[in-house]
Amino acid sequence: MMTKALIEHIEGEASLYFDTRGDKVTWAEIAFPHFRGMERMLEGRKATDALVLTPRVCGICGHAHLMATVRAIEAAYAEAGHPVELTRKAQSLRELTLVLEMIQNHFKWLYLVILPELEKLGVEGLAPAPLKGAFAAAQATKILALFAGQWPHSSYMIPGGVTCDPTHLERIQAAGLLDELIAFFEKETAGIDLDTLLTFASCREFNPLQSDLGRLEKGLIAAGMHKKGMAYDRFVVLGEHGFTVRARLKHTRPMKADASQVATEAAVCRDETSYARNVRYGKHFYEVGPLARAISADNALIKNMHRRYKDSVYTRVMARVYETALLLQRARKLLEHLELSEPSYIPPVPLERITAAGEGIVEAPRGPLIHRMRLERGIVADYSIITPTQWNLGSSVMSDPAPAQKAMVGAADIAEATFIFRSFDVCSVCTTH
Amino acid sequence: MSKAERKENIISTALKLFAEKGFYVTTIPDIAAKVGMSVGNFYNYFSSKDILAKELILYISEYLGKHIREINEGEGSAKDKISAIVTFYFTMATERPEMIEYFLRIYLSNREVFGESCEGMVCVSPFITEMMIFFDDGVAGGELRDQDFFSAFGLFMGYLGGMVFLFGEKILPEPLSHYEASIAENIYRALKTV
Amino acid sequence: MPSRLYKPTLIWLQGVTCNGNTHSFLNLPYLPQLLERFEVLYHPLLPCTQSLAETAHCKRGCDVLVFEGAFDPEMERAGTTLKQLVGHYAGEAGHVIAAGSCASFGGIFKASAPNRNSGLAFAGEQPDGPLRGRVGKVINLSGCPVHPEWLGYALMSIADGRPVAVDQLGRPTALYRHMAHDGCLRNEYFEWKVDVEQFGRKEGCLFYEHGCRGPLTHASCNRTLWNGVSSKMRVGTPCFGCTEPDFPRRNLFETKTNMSIPEEVPVGVSKRAYLTMTGIAKSFKIKRLEERLIDDD
Repeated sequence: MMTKALIEHIEGEASLYFDTRGDKVTWAEIAFPHFRGMERMLEGRKATDALVLTPRVCGICGHAHLMATVRAIEAAYAEAGHPVELTRKAQSLRELTLVLEMIQNHFKWLYLVILPELEKLGVEGLAPAPLKGAFAAAQATKILALFAGQWPHSSYMIPGGVTCDPTHLERIQAAGLLDELIAFFEKETAGIDLDTLLTFASCREFNPLQSDLGRLEKGLIAAGMHKKGMAYDRFVVLGEHGFTVRARLKHTRPMKADASQVATEAAVCRDETSYARNVRYGKHFYEVGPLARAISADNALIKNMHRRYKDSVYTRVMARVYETALLLQRARKLLEHLELSEPSYIPPVPLERITAAGEGIVEAPRGPLIHRMRLERGIVADYSIITPTQWNLGSSVMSDPAPAQKAMVGAADIAEATFIFRSFDVCSVCTTH
Repeated sequence: MSKAERKENIISTALKLFAEKGFYVTTIPDIAAKVGMSVGNFYNYFSSKDILAKELILYISEYLGKHIREINEGEGSAKDKISAIVTFYFTMATERPEMIEYFLRIYLSNREVFGESCEGMVCVSPFITEMMIFFDDGVAGGELRDQDFFSAFGLFMGYLGGMVFLFGEKILPEPLSHYEASIAENIYRALKTV
Repeated sequence: MPSRLYKPTLIWLQGVTCNGNTHSFLNLPYLPQLLERFEVLYHPLLPCTQSLAETAHCKRGCDVLVFEGAFDPEMERAGTTLKQLVGHYAGEAGHVIAAGSCASFGGIFKASAPNRNSGLAFAGEQPDGPLRGRVGKVINLSGCPVHPEWLGYALMSIADGRPVAVDQLGRPTALYRHMAHDGCLRNEYFEWKVDVEQFGRKEGCLFYEHGCRGPLTHASCNRTLWNGVSSKMRVGTPCFGCTEPDFPRRNLFETKTNMSIPEEVPVGVSKRAYLTMTGIAKSFKIKRLEERLIDDD
């Protein structure tokens, strides 16, 4: 029989249409009902206006959109024969604020989504405290705002660098705030100090932890999530940053990844108009996000999990929480090595001289975000956005399911299937921008 | 005669004397004698020649500004206003040549006199501001081409100043009024939108 | 003062949105204390007592409706159109808060469907939308996104039973009487007309060439800082005027000038007065303002 479930408490909403035999889920289709037309809005505008508009694609990962836009404009400059020069300082600041946005995202997902939803599956003793997520996220965005002015919706990255001109005063303030955030993470989330957590090499090491992470890990096992929600066990990482390794992976075997192989198609949903699009690399579906990033970066702990539990919900969820720790460390390192003596911005040639196409790729909280634009004398002639959730949450036909569909098929019941769905960190506003 | 009228009288007399004899040659006793007051009394109005010099430039600038403002606030296109400004400027140069003379010969060529408190646009602000308003309205109304302010201002005022200079040197075969229409046309053509 | 025992019920609905106002709200430092003062029946992310489907049945009302996003009458939430949802809940509620510029004026998402989408009570500056003419009942908290402290101020005032005075566009005067320019760290450069020269500098004003709308924008971003620490201008980004009904304008990183003269001058100042001041101020070369503030880096 067919059942519709409305998924809320994600970014926006999604509708899931389940076929069940008894309680067991035999098939699922996904619809994203809301469409806003962000790409069309940009046409005919000066490319720099996109730096203000594209962050408004998404309230939780708008900073990643900002970076994708600025990279796409800079790529168009290079294509037109006027490569843009970026100082190390500008690059470090951009990466730092991107990392901080990812951190806030992961905290919110853990505390506002995953822990409460896992409790709904009947797992006891999790003691979810959603406002912890808001607190930690607000602390992360406070650090971000010291350099980017505000969060959400900063536009401080511009072709040629960043608009800010921080001094050591801000750097010291940021380091202090980051230490506080790490202390919160150590006390509440991890139950162990960050450096020790980062040396973990096997799942057993979570056993003694009296913390949200410890309870989550046990809860996932209790709910059988280490045996559920497998997708294709194929991963893609495309965004190039100091903390990522660009690769396409079959299981854990890396291969070259070429963004020109990425294309989209209309999503399939028989029961509702969906504005989503599916993304494929070549002919195939791939999973993207923190798990993909951890495997491509050869992270010992996550690879150990993957060996034991494959690409199950357990591995997917733990990889995202663990990435929070990796990113906190990355933020600390970036702050320590911030070279403030260089200029923030090197003016490029006037935008009016640029007639070219450009592509900007960023690892957003949920995976690769791709912005493609074509400029005619600095004016946007064409703009297209491919978001990470379109990779994971496609909706295709039964003979060729998208990753989240494949993960949900075989779930014991609809409640479990929707939890599996949430393990991908759903963002509906990005999916249908 | 009221104090204000007397001050006005000193200003117009001083302008005429400076135009006739030159700025440095003309002394305060010369000016006081011409307006029929004692030197001591003169100092009640202007405490030094330099201060008088600055007041004169402000007086001229305000006079220009007041008339251009009337043109700005009146009806008509940017083209009409260009004609009106040219006509006004040439009429003033013909009827009160000492004012334009003072501006061109004394203010612009003796900037050391005006040093301390007449930097940049301070003493000519009323006039420059009004020209800014004129240009801004013209561009906002779509009649004039958007470009750098000084490129446009220099073309307009440099042209008029040059003609007044030629007129003063007795080089022009015809009175200034003879050239008004063609000059206004030239300025409009140079500044209008393509 | 209403009794502290009674907690006003609150429902937070979304129209055409990016969820930016929801996430901005989560940054409020006293969020836990604020939530203690309300009974949250529905919120898209925070813990609440009803599901969206229950909320969409429109069985009961609420005291406070917070609406985020542009209003598209035909858009559905859990199978109920926004027209029905807003009609029901705004009718029942004592207070309606339009959180952000989309809900206030239509904002970015009016631009994507101008004939269909609007704010709750305005489309741009024009009274329009399902609650047009209800200035006072609808509190417009414009901004893209809304500043968490502005939302905190409005909700706490409601919880305390204090009336919120609003301007002609329905924005609280306590928050929007100021200009974004107030408290900008670059004000001295504005006074002496010293331009920033190029982006990426802490010295200089962004108003002359770089598109800053601080003196033209009603907002208190530089009085109550974002995320408690900063603002766009503090990090060298121009103010884009996101609290105003004409947001988003075009060519946001440039100042529109006519022959180098800014097309728009600070609110309430005549152009003639502004240009007079400018000409005079620019005449003085202030050495201190021409130099970099810190040369050691």
